[in-house]
Amino acid sequence: MMVPALRITRVSKHFDTAKGRVTAVEDVSLDIMQGEFISIIGPSGCGKSTLMNMVGGLLTEYDGEILLDGKKVSGCQPEIGMVFQEESTFPWRTAIENVAFPLEAAGLPRDKRVARARDLLDLVGLSGFENHYPAELSGGMRQRIAIARTLAFEPRILLMDEPFAALDEQTRMLLGDKVVQIQQQLKQTTLLITHNISEAVALSDRVLIMTFRPGRIKRVLDIDLPRPRSSEMMGSEKFASYVAEIWRDLREEASKGLQESEAAAR
Amino acid sequence: MVAVGQVKSARASRAGLSRVTIYRIVALVIIIALWEGAGASGLFFRGVIPSSIFVIAALLRLLGDHVFWGHFGVTLFEIITGFVIGSAFGMLGGLGIGMNRYAGQIFEPVVEYFASTPKVVFLPILLILFGIGVGSKISLGAISCFFPLALSIAAAVRGINQMYLRVGQSLNLTLMQRVKMIYLPALTPAIATGLRLGFGIATVGCLMSEIKLSNKGLGHAAMQAYGRFDIPTMLALLIVIFATAALGNILIGRLIRLPGPTNRRITQLPAR
Repeated sequence: MMVPALRITRVSKHFDTAKGRVTAVEDVSLDIMQGEFISIIGPSGCGKSTLMNMVGGLLTEYDGEILLDGKKVSGCQPEIGMVFQEESTFPWRTAIENVAFPLEAAGLPRDKRVARARDLLDLVGLSGFENHYPAELSGGMRQRIAIARTLAFEPRILLMDEPFAALDEQTRMLLGDKVVQIQQQLKQTTLLITHNISEAVALSDRVLIMTFRPGRIKRVLDIDLPRPRSSEMMGSEKFASYVAEIWRDLREEASKGLQESEAAAR
Repeated sequence: MVAVGQVKSARASRAGLSRVTIYRIVALVIIIALWEGAGASGLFFRGVIPSSIFVIAALLRLLGDHVFWGHFGVTLFEIITGFVIGSAFGMLGGLGIGMNRYAGQIFEPVVEYFASTPKVVFLPILLILFGIGVGSKISLGAISCFFPLALSIAAAVRGINQMYLRVGQSLNLTLMQRVKMIYLPALTPAIATGLRLGFGIATVGCLMSEIKLSNKGLGHAAMQAYGRFDIPTMLALLIVIFATAALGNILIGRLIRLPGPTNRRITQLPAR
């Protein structure tokens, strides 16, 4: 059998807060194969982002083991690229300079990094906007710059933490199409964190449903839809049945989360 | 909002002087008129408020006097040297206090207490350490400009968008790369403001110590004119000091190119 690109074994993470110990992630195990697109879906507060920060190396204290190509992940490394939910483009750099940022840090000569950044901007559909500053672009365009910037240093694994959360529904769908297209083109191993069910179904090979706190894997669902995919197949019967199936599992968890936040507000 | 403002000011300049310029000229005329009126009213001791014509005459005489230029050169040297030393340490200190939590906890309270102390209290020590020549002036200027710069930069470091730092962290940037590629560009507006503020304060520090005890410099010359009761010359020297500080401030503002689209829009405006 092939060695998985990323192997997460019995990972747990506790936070000690003023109110006592909170278990954010509990006993999560997962193997991700090279080129696979996996979505992690769960209610707010299920530890999705915690999991991503551990895989990305931003959080280094946890129980269990995360192996990248059989080697233990310790701290951030260039093999793992992260795209964040929040605005993260540098406002003082133009689009192309933003994409070239990691290449500049790696010491690539100017002409090479410009050429590479131009290719990537083209890949995310932003050619013609090379010299625009983020403030002159829309939220969707800025997020595409952030994705291109992360792809620039060719990470083996792409981690995306709700990258479309701040965008409107139409932009989100079109951008999802773009991401799938790029992922198929580059055969990029991708881990997407989302709370949007149709997004998870449309993009993924497998969807992981997580429980509300403590965050455990409730179920892994294989999405057997033909590729290439696009948002147009959202009307299909099979698509709808996947969405319904995930919602059935998720509903219980989401209502637990809702109850807890209502109780906290009281 | 910005666009509307730009359009308006563009329209006004086409019609002639902008409204702001007109108000400025009116304000200047009123101040001069009040000055002349106060001088002619006889309410003050004779000669304390000389007519602006005498002041201008004294200024022109100064500009042709090589002794004046000697004083001017000394003061300019003191201000620039004090400013460069003080702001270099101020920037480093501010970055250190802001970036390192422990350094912040240890040094920030100290810096804050000293920042609110009038720096002229250090002058006796500086006079002993560096003598009554330029050394004591440069050091007071440097100390004066260090504190506000260090504090404002430390505050700005803490205000940096955490996402920029997380991107840097996820790319495994070294400390130098983080400073050069994230901190400095993100802090440029704060540094620009801090430097302009620091230049003014360095000027105050240098002149204050010149006025207290010195044998050269514009402050010394002004005190000499005061001793002779040559009020027009004294005022002319004050005008020179004011103009120097203002020009220095403008120059710093021009030299630091603010990164990002705002600067670009300003330079592109005439083309549109």
